Amino acid sequence: MATYIQIDPTQKLDPFKSVKKLPLEEYFTSGHRTCQGCESALVMKMMAKAAGPRSIILGSTGCMYVANTTYYSTSWVVPWMHTQLGSSGSAALGTSAALKVLMRKGKIKNEPINVIAFCGDGGGADMGVGAISATLTHAEYNSLILMYDNESYANTDIQLSGSTPWGANTTFSSPGKVKRIMHRRWKKNMAGMMAAGHPECKYVATICMSYGLHGMNSIRKALAIGGPTFIHSLDPCPKGWDYDPYLSHEMGELAVNSGVWPLYEVENGLLRLTGRTEQIAAGKIRRVPVRDYLLKQGRFAHFTNDDIDYFQSKIDDMWEKWLIPGVIPFRRDVEADTPPSS
Amino acid sequence: MPTAIAGKKKTVRINGCVASAQAAKYADVDVIAAYPIRPYTATMMALAQMVANGELDAEYIVADSEHSQLSISHGASSCGARVFTGSSGVGVQFAYELYSPISGSRMPVQMMIADRTLDPPGDFGSEHTDALSTRDMGWLMGWACDAQEAFDNHLIAYRIGEDPRVLLPQMVCQDGFFVSHITSDVELPDPGQVKEFLPPYKHPYPLDPRRPVSHGPQIMPEQGPPLQLERARAMEECTPVIEQAHEEFAQIFGRRYDPWVEEYMTDGADVVFFLQGGHAVTARFAIQHLREKGIKVGMVRLRTIRPYPTDRVNEVLSKFKVVGVIETNMALGSVSSGGALYAEVCGALYESPHRPLVMSFMAGMGGEAIVLKEFYWMTQKMIDAQKRGKIEKRTHWVGFED
Repeated sequence: MATYIQIDPTQKLDPFKSVKKLPLEEYFTSGHRTCQGCESALVMKMMAKAAGPRSIILGSTGCMYVANTTYYSTSWVVPWMHTQLGSSGSAALGTSAALKVLMRKGKIKNEPINVIAFCGDGGGADMGVGAISATLTHAEYNSLILMYDNESYANTDIQLSGSTPWGANTTFSSPGKVKRIMHRRWKKNMAGMMAAGHPECKYVATICMSYGLHGMNSIRKALAIGGPTFIHSLDPCPKGWDYDPYLSHEMGELAVNSGVWPLYEVENGLLRLTGRTEQIAAGKIRRVPVRDYLLKQGRFAHFTNDDIDYFQSKIDDMWEKWLIPGVIPFRRDVEADTPPSS
Repeated sequence: MPTAIAGKKKTVRINGCVASAQAAKYADVDVIAAYPIRPYTATMMALAQMVANGELDAEYIVADSEHSQLSISHGASSCGARVFTGSSGVGVQFAYELYSPISGSRMPVQMMIADRTLDPPGDFGSEHTDALSTRDMGWLMGWACDAQEAFDNHLIAYRIGEDPRVLLPQMVCQDGFFVSHITSDVELPDPGQVKEFLPPYKHPYPLDPRRPVSHGPQIMPEQGPPLQLERARAMEECTPVIEQAHEEFAQIFGRRYDPWVEEYMTDGADVVFFLQGGHAVTARFAIQHLREKGIKVGMVRLRTIRPYPTDRVNEVLSKFKVVGVIETNMALGSVSSGGALYAEVCGALYESPHRPLVMSFMAGMGGEAIVLKEFYWMTQKMIDAQKRGKIEKRTHWVGFED
């Protein structure tokens, strides 16, 4: 069969064996102004470490732009460029295409260079979803889109996004005297949507940097596999979720262990549940009640028991009624969805 | 000293869109970002064919929107690629967010515009409002009046925009249909001539892991003005680069353009039309007729609106008694309550000791041709004003008045 897609060689990025074997070099260093306990800054640091020095990183508008690249004190050791809020996908595409053609024409040295574009949930799941989707269909261009999801527009004072969980208190959905639940949309299933909708995309994964090695190795796999790839990272945010900053790591663990945030990867079309999620699915460990996760966060402090039960029932549905648990929300039977009255 | 190379130049009969595509081919662009919208889209159709036929080695990317077209261009240009993109009408507006970031990061992206009326009501016709609405975003900008000039403008614009003293993006505009879809003879140069005129693009600070840089960082309010001043200076100081590029173009290709304005039969003229783009072709014809009847009318066609040649416009227009600005664009509620050009003209003339009367004509709106009798009607309005010594009103909607 003829080869229709010419994918340029990628770097060899074997998985890190253990935390102790990580390289010491940092490519995202001091100079940033992120909040105490910011999990997304950790994602940036580990993403850059996993990718290594032969990388170009593009950042669309969001916390990780505004707080990370203060003029004269950029924290990026690798080349970095700002892209517009909805441009992570398209800017990655253009950058990757430019490298490809400039190398082909002999204008720059022919060598594999990682192209990573990151976006927040606002830039990715809301404004930029079209451009990311398009990029994932351009199979001949190597790039990774990493969506760091802190579940709100956290840089502009915590407004809800398409990725904010149901019922959360944000500055666009504060509970009032008449309406307790102002945010009545369920969180967008970005990774599942990207995996299901882009059959030529070779790698989609969900990560949470509370499990750092897992997250870094997912990033390395995404970069090494070639073509456009997508990673969705859930990042606890002390400011937006309203909890004490020292709890960030624990909050990520609770998101995974309560089943709210399933970890999985889709590699060349093959779905694999990973990390703790795999153990939950295999029945080796039990899911923690979502109550334990929700009530540690001020953004859910207005929840009644009904609200918590409803949230739990939606998570149970995800695990018990979805045809592919935690991944794709197709069901076996039609059922009514009845949220509590607000 | 550049020398003209006869070599392999040839004359072909093509329209403005294809002329633009040919120019991109001769410029050996690296990345093309396409998205369909009439009428510019014929340029991208032609380029797709060239890439498919191996006539041009470029990455041809079909984007998912104009916003993505410009984002792709931004990323590609930042790596040091020569980038070509384009749009029309509402497409130009859909990409609006990117215009300032691209000029602010000093990326010489080139965008071809074949004008189209903005919605509503979904009119395909040409009106300059689409590109003109972006005129203050830091892009070099000017209109061609025929396919040959469109071809030439693309090469000249790359040469200016990529000059290390300038590094600014360029909008190379032509009227939808009147230029983009009218076929005429276009001389295609010998590739050697283009090579001599247009050096390879080399951005001083590309995204390169060997020399890491951060593009477009977040700044504090006090850091903004110096950066804005630099961009303003680049726009101001590119004047000699523009003039030099046109001079060398004339020497190498044998076609000489005044970079700023074309004066047509302005010798001894009392009244002149001031306009941009393709309607100049009809205007020349109308002026010939009127001159035969002894009417002292001429035309001044603006070739470059950004950077705006304030002093030149002042100097040229001060010679006349009445200036009739043909707008071909909408600037609702603006100075003249008509189009955007009126204020540009009046601004340039304010310091003149011999200010002519200035009136604005809303003509060619919605993509309608400006016919000869409308040029005669407008000339009469200018002559009336000259006799009266003052204008009747600032803006006339041509075709809606007696």
